[in-house]
Amino acid sequence: MRFILGILDTARPMFRPGGRLAPLRPIFDAADGFFFSPATRTVVAPHARDPLDVKRYMSAVIIAIVPCLVAAVHFYGLRVLAMVLVSYAAGGAVEVIFAMVRKEEIQEGFLVTGMIFPLILPPGLPLWMVATGCAFGVLVGKEIFGGTGRNLFNPALVGRVFLALGYPRAMSGAWVEPGTGLLGRVFQYGTDVVTTATPLAAAKGGEWAALPKLLFGNVLGSVGETSAIAVILGGVFLLVIGIANWRIVAATLGAFAVVSLGLHGGDVSIVVWHLLAGSLLFGALFMATDPVTSPMTNAGKWAYGIIIGVVIALIRNLTGYVEGVMFAILLGNVFAPVLDELFVAVHVRRLREEG
Amino acid sequence: MSAGGILATDPACFSVPLLAPYGGTARLDEAEGHIVLDGLEAPTDDPTDDPRDDQAADPANDVGRNAPESRPGAAGRRELVRLGAWQFVSDARTGLPADPEATPSAVIVSTIHLEPFLARGDVQLAGRLSEFARGLTHIQSFLEYEPIYLVVPAIHAPLVRKIRESVRGTAWIELVSVPLRYPFDHFGILARHLGLKADPERPVWALPVAGVFAFDRALTQARPALERIISLGGPAVDDPAHFRGVVGYPIDEIVDDRLRRAPARILRGGALTGSPVGSDDLGLDAECSGLTVLAEAADRQFLAFARPGWSRHSYGRTFLSRYCPGPPERLRTALRGELRPCVACGQCVDVCAAGIMPNAIHKYLYGDDIEAAQRLRVDLCVECGLCSYVCPSKIELRQQFLDAKRAIREELTVEEVPA
Repeated sequence: MRFILGILDTARPMFRPGGRLAPLRPIFDAADGFFFSPATRTVVAPHARDPLDVKRYMSAVIIAIVPCLVAAVHFYGLRVLAMVLVSYAAGGAVEVIFAMVRKEEIQEGFLVTGMIFPLILPPGLPLWMVATGCAFGVLVGKEIFGGTGRNLFNPALVGRVFLALGYPRAMSGAWVEPGTGLLGRVFQYGTDVVTTATPLAAAKGGEWAALPKLLFGNVLGSVGETSAIAVILGGVFLLVIGIANWRIVAATLGAFAVVSLGLHGGDVSIVVWHLLAGSLLFGALFMATDPVTSPMTNAGKWAYGIIIGVVIALIRNLTGYVEGVMFAILLGNVFAPVLDELFVAVHVRRLREEG
Repeated sequence: MSAGGILATDPACFSVPLLAPYGGTARLDEAEGHIVLDGLEAPTDDPTDDPRDDQAADPANDVGRNAPESRPGAAGRRELVRLGAWQFVSDARTGLPADPEATPSAVIVSTIHLEPFLARGDVQLAGRLSEFARGLTHIQSFLEYEPIYLVVPAIHAPLVRKIRESVRGTAWIELVSVPLRYPFDHFGILARHLGLKADPERPVWALPVAGVFAFDRALTQARPALERIISLGGPAVDDPAHFRGVVGYPIDEIVDDRLRRAPARILRGGALTGSPVGSDDLGLDAECSGLTVLAEAADRQFLAFARPGWSRHSYGRTFLSRYCPGPPERLRTALRGELRPCVACGQCVDVCAAGIMPNAIHKYLYGDDIEAAQRLRVDLCVECGLCSYVCPSKIELRQQFLDAKRAIREELTVEEVPA
């Protein structure tokens, strides 16, 4: 460890203002901050601080996604890892360029975006599309709003919408037949693309995939969202450590279940099937819970989750689309500031009574 | 002549005795129509200085019972101001010094002090119950029907029973107990808890234990409250202690030989709200409630964000210390992270005892919208520092709110002047 610190300390002057590599300072600072906790001290009260920082916060999300990633590699092969790498490279490049132009530090948010983005894409998508989509998502979904924490929309979903509208054929037909057996496709690259229907599309034709298949995830679908078990595992982890807000998850899944129950005439088994199919769980646990793009108030979170859940149920059952999670969450993002205005005003009124 | 003893009485108004400000020997020179005191000696050792010596002969006891009745209203308040006891009285709703002229709508006396490492109120009470009861009686003398709320850790504690017995008939106190969790000891929170509204005409007087003692000292003995019990504590102190400090006592002398490690930050006040003692601060000031010493952070930990964190106690649940509690690490002055934009995690809202939304206020203050911050009631902030403490983005919320509140106050004063 000492030698890494030694290297960093030796290189530090080169990146300071006036140094030869001064424009690359965000990259140096990112590496410096990655390897070692910052040496900064408090200046004003409180003089001691909680050990939690944004790096830890974001790393927790990455850890929660690992089960999905493992399941994805098992079912769809090593190509998944290539997609993750390409996504990180493209998103990271945009982030670094913006940090350099703004002369700010590189923010950790893109680590989550870069990880989640490939997991919501079809596994057979060409890598250049992965790169384009991620770059677009980070650029338009986040950087032009001012970076992590100031964005209105979930950057990964912005990237996915871009691809879905720009390359509809690839986005709806680049599925990969999931690997079978104990090892699945762990040692395969996995490029044999098929265009058969995903469970949700098949269900529109009255063909229901078996529940165990949905649970384990050996069905057609986007990279990280087919295995309900892996998604639930990671999602429960996020809920337990308090990063994902349980209100959003409960409201989304609850509203979806209630509306679906109504639309299917009270058939519970169909509702359970719908809960496990598609990207509902992944969206509810990992994407709707993004704290930046969801409302601040607890009441707002309930309302936000209900909007998302209801819209997913309506799109799935009443429109030509087979899946509505992406649009529903983006719609929720649109409503988030309005919900905040509304419920913050309620909060303020309550405070006024306090005198 | 002992301190507080009756020096002289005015035959025309015999109920107002002139008390001796110091103990000593006085020589009386009688002139026509006047009494001239001459050669008042310097104060001698006084047994009342020792808080543990409560049962010992307390010379003030002889006259103490009479004092509240004999110094009512305005004269008593002038006396409090003159002798420096008024500095302990603040307006609970604003935190600003209370106006000695205004009539309070209620008085809150708090015997709890919950900020880590500082002297708890009941520590200060120990062995000085009679002084405390006398102080409460004095407070009662300024009131008509307004209640005195006495905030205690537990209503049925033996100590509390004793207080109640000793003020029976002389002060009408209402006992209040609150959750023993920082910052529920803050007067602003207490006032809201009690449903006392903010009213500029009728402030809510807020007094700590030290203030009650100062009242007693000023009104019974006519002596200034120079001395108070303060604590020296904190993770970097080898030998934490309570001691009686006099205003102006050199801080260096208190702290010397008690520090565990050399690079340390000495704070006037607590770790969450205090301010660092600078090199030009020579002695204890009147408002100092204690000294807290934190070790200055120096080391940088390798891959700190990825470690399990067995000993890193955090408000959030991302460290394993949450599930396997072990001995916590020592608090240091490290910022423990990099400054980032707000990620809306909502922890500040969860910890805010004032019930405001620090993240929403921050969002508006970031856009320089002070009016919106005012609408969101930044004025209710009690500056406890918990939001800054838990913020993973390391935003200086407390400082921002302090600045905003000051800006709002200044704006209000400017507006009031032409009117």
